[in-house]
Amino acid sequence: MLIQQVFNGLALGMGYALIAVGYSLVFGILRLVNFSHGSIYAFGAEMAMVFIGFRFGIIPGIIAAMILTGVLGICIDKVALEPLRKKKSMPIASLITTIGISNIVTQLLIVFLGSEKRNFPALFDFGSVQIGHIAVSSTQIMMCVVSLILMTVLVLIVYKTKIGLAMRAGEQNSRAACMMGINVNFVISFTFFLAGVSATIAGVLVGSYYQIVYPNMGYMAGLKAFAAAVLGGIGSLPGALLGGLIVGVSESMAATFLGSTYRDSIAFIILIIVLIVRPHGLFGRKGITKV
Amino acid sequence: MNRKRAILVAVLSTAALSLLAGCGNAKKEANNTDKANADTVKIAVAGPMTGDNSEYGIGFANAAEMKAEEWNEKGGVLGKQIEIVKYDDKNTSEEATTIAQKIVSDGTAAGVIGHFSSGVCMTAAPIYQENKMIEISPSASHPDYTKIGDYIFRNNTVIEKEATASVDLAVNDMGKKNIGIISIMTDWGTNTSQVVKDIVQNLGDPDVKVVAHEEVMEGSDDYTPAITKLNEAGADVVICCGMYNLVAPVAKQYKAINPDIAIVAFSNAYSQQLIELGGDAVEGVCFPVIFFSESDDPIVKDYIENYTEKYGSAPSALTSQAYDSVGILLTAIEESGTTDHEAVRDKLREVEYPGVCGVTKFDENGEIDKEFVKVTIKDGKFEKMAE
Amino acid sequence: MTERIKRLINKEDDCCQDTIKPGAGTLHKIEVFTDKNKFSLGLAAAALLIALPFILGDQYLLTVIVKIGAYAILAMGLNILTGYTGLVSLGHAGFVAIGAYTASLLSVRLGADFFTATLAGMVVAGLVGVVLGLPTLKVTGTYLSIITLGFGEIIKMIAMNWATVTNGTLGVKNIPKPSLFGFDMTVGNFGMYYLMLALVIITAVFCLMVVKSKTGRAFQAIRADEMASTMMGINITAYKILAFVISACICALGGSLYATVIGYIDPNTFNFDVSTLILSIVILGGMGTIRGMFVGAAILIAFPEVSRFLMEYRFVLYGVILVIMMRFRPQGILGWKSTLPYKLNKRVREEIEKTEAKETAGD
Repeated sequence: MLIQQVFNGLALGMGYALIAVGYSLVFGILRLVNFSHGSIYAFGAEMAMVFIGFRFGIIPGIIAAMILTGVLGICIDKVALEPLRKKKSMPIASLITTIGISNIVTQLLIVFLGSEKRNFPALFDFGSVQIGHIAVSSTQIMMCVVSLILMTVLVLIVYKTKIGLAMRAGEQNSRAACMMGINVNFVISFTFFLAGVSATIAGVLVGSYYQIVYPNMGYMAGLKAFAAAVLGGIGSLPGALLGGLIVGVSESMAATFLGSTYRDSIAFIILIIVLIVRPHGLFGRKGITKV
Repeated sequence: MNRKRAILVAVLSTAALSLLAGCGNAKKEANNTDKANADTVKIAVAGPMTGDNSEYGIGFANAAEMKAEEWNEKGGVLGKQIEIVKYDDKNTSEEATTIAQKIVSDGTAAGVIGHFSSGVCMTAAPIYQENKMIEISPSASHPDYTKIGDYIFRNNTVIEKEATASVDLAVNDMGKKNIGIISIMTDWGTNTSQVVKDIVQNLGDPDVKVVAHEEVMEGSDDYTPAITKLNEAGADVVICCGMYNLVAPVAKQYKAINPDIAIVAFSNAYSQQLIELGGDAVEGVCFPVIFFSESDDPIVKDYIENYTEKYGSAPSALTSQAYDSVGILLTAIEESGTTDHEAVRDKLREVEYPGVCGVTKFDENGEIDKEFVKVTIKDGKFEKMAE
Repeated sequence: MTERIKRLINKEDDCCQDTIKPGAGTLHKIEVFTDKNKFSLGLAAAALLIALPFILGDQYLLTVIVKIGAYAILAMGLNILTGYTGLVSLGHAGFVAIGAYTASLLSVRLGADFFTATLAGMVVAGLVGVVLGLPTLKVTGTYLSIITLGFGEIIKMIAMNWATVTNGTLGVKNIPKPSLFGFDMTVGNFGMYYLMLALVIITAVFCLMVVKSKTGRAFQAIRADEMASTMMGINITAYKILAFVISACICALGGSLYATVIGYIDPNTFNFDVSTLILSIVILGGMGTIRGMFVGAAILIAFPEVSRFLMEYRFVLYGVILVIMMRFRPQGILGWKSTLPYKLNKRVREEIEKTEAKETAGD
């Protein structure tokens, strides 16, 4: 049972890791905790469900949802966050703004699609693989595979491409980056786009794993993924992956050995312990003091 | 700078104006106490219209509006048109107290249909009772709810009766002995699972026992740890205390682990969405219901057809109970010839109302007592179980 | 030198007109006006507040006003921590929950009266505040906010799982109304309103006293610059923990009031949304001001009520308001810096006059 739960937890953790990446990317460049990310994740999943329902085929549907969600991310930045940056207002104003946006996105989803849980097609259901006593479903395997591929792609984008270089430059010192001819606002938009896309992929994977999507699915998942991002060291992609896996596995363990009612808080308990021992997370860099 | 100032002033003054307008409105309504001369009969529908449970509140409102329209076509009640006034409580006690105060301060409503969960109903009910306002909840199932007072009714069976029916289904109809319970961590779920345990204990059959009980949280869709535990405890039937949105994923995830498991649920999981969400996995799920959508009764058939046509989806059991609740209230108003709350309250205990959930009659405690229909899902459809 | 001090002490507006930025003129005039007519304005406000229930006479409006008052208390509590000390908490619902649960459990199970129960709630919250304040030794900034977020979730979990004490998800029902000398305070007989009013005033006065004291200046110094404050000999950790404790106690008071107003609490009453709501009130009203808390609470609590006619769109619009407010007035509605000259206290003033006298004598 133990190993079985570890596997379940890993699949769960991969989902968190993909959401956590979004927090990490945005935090890295803006030093901003983007509380609207949970609702963006739900938006992506719901949109994927809607587009798949249009019968263009599954892959085009998902791609359309990814683009739409990415654009939503850009819009949020352009409409609400960029003006605040221009005014150099307090960081906490941006934080409240993201909370407001999260409200808007979730409530609009409820208005247009209803609060009910809806069926999401199982995309990778090819039965399960039996390894000894452990049953690993194909969906779980696919979740891990897709997440790992996506992580690799993201790492490649950040570390091997020009725009990735610009992102890292903006992360270290946005003013200096600007002087070097980098269009920082474009880089930030691109970051939001990436965050939106990865959130949609997370939404699709998690949605097809449980075969359920609903407007509020990002609430708890968002908070836990955020904990995962901080745990791993916010701003670091490998950290997000590791954090997600730790949160996923510990949650699965807690649900098994302590009872399902403890699962939501275990992530935070681990988080607090880690932060007290290592105040910047496992892979985090020092020197981040803003809110 | 000036533009910004102008915008700020605009925003502030709008806020102030809307505040004033809101107060003004409330005042106006409060002054309108001369309800006998009002040209409409108002019925308040209170439930979650926004937030997580908005589907249920909107279901209540839809059902109430449909019923009101039917009556209005026939000329209304007491020669007046019926008006449904919707109130959103987000299914929180905080908003429910405010709404209850609003409804009783306003004072024009003939009665309140609603509040969704038992806990919320029980926060609002004392306010209604204190101000002699009739409340009929289509969904509250906590035994203490109707004990709050004589203006408090429910068109739902009290949880003990329903749980007895569910246990009966599991033990007698299915012949299972090792019962596992999985319950959602809400006031309803906790309460129901406790009631089920007590009932099983009082059966007096040493072979039948609860082998495991697992509580799961809302907001997480991964139930495998709980299911694994139930499975290892050797449960051969699972009583699932939750709405359709718990039953469907539990059924899916349980059948991935143990395809032979039998699942018993409650009437509030009885919804077309259960089948849509659960697909093949919910085949064979059984529950006791007082509303049966596939019934041959022409009233029910018409109702299902009209509702589906109007709102695009089939009504759930709770929605149908709301539909009947409005009907009962209107009948009582018509028979007593007034919207006076006291007269209507007394009449409510006498009316025998033939609705889509069978004949409804409130007893002196404001409870209803109905025969349960045992229903199962077969080939993607609800079906009466063979006796 | 003395000229400048004299000018500072002098309240007449023409003296300091030159130090004020153009554009802040109206604001300055209002401030001077309120300052001059402090007494009569205060009297008018007091009269209005006392007469309010009789003017309105409507239970619904009173319930909303009482709720606004309860949230204003919560906001004042968080304001000590976030507004004055600069520590952003995302888990203050946890303290509200501790206050509400301790007080209502004591009164439901042990029959304690409201005031004793509330005090107990405040003590418990204060102790937990010390515990939550301890990580400030090592953790700062965003990471501290994240710890408070986790704290809020953990308190919720405890309330949910410690069923033998807290009743778990079933919540605490029938929380008694407070009573004073045998007089039960309900919304209907206005008792609840006056209780709220008294608690709000006590809290506001207490907050003002804290802010104006040495402690309050230490808080503000920490907010402005931690390093500089350390250099000035301020024990940063001790003051941060103190800010947590004060903040927790005030929030527990608000929580206890909230619980008795609503009459029913369960773990989900105190979720992350409540934490963000309190924070939004603080920011929207104007961080680091006490006046702002009332305005913020009034807007954010009254808004969902006045916008009921919008039905399902009302919480969409709620988000829009937050976004727009932050866009156009990130410092909060009443978040201006006072344009009035800084008031030195009596002793300092005497001291200055003495030196001045000496100087003139020396000339």
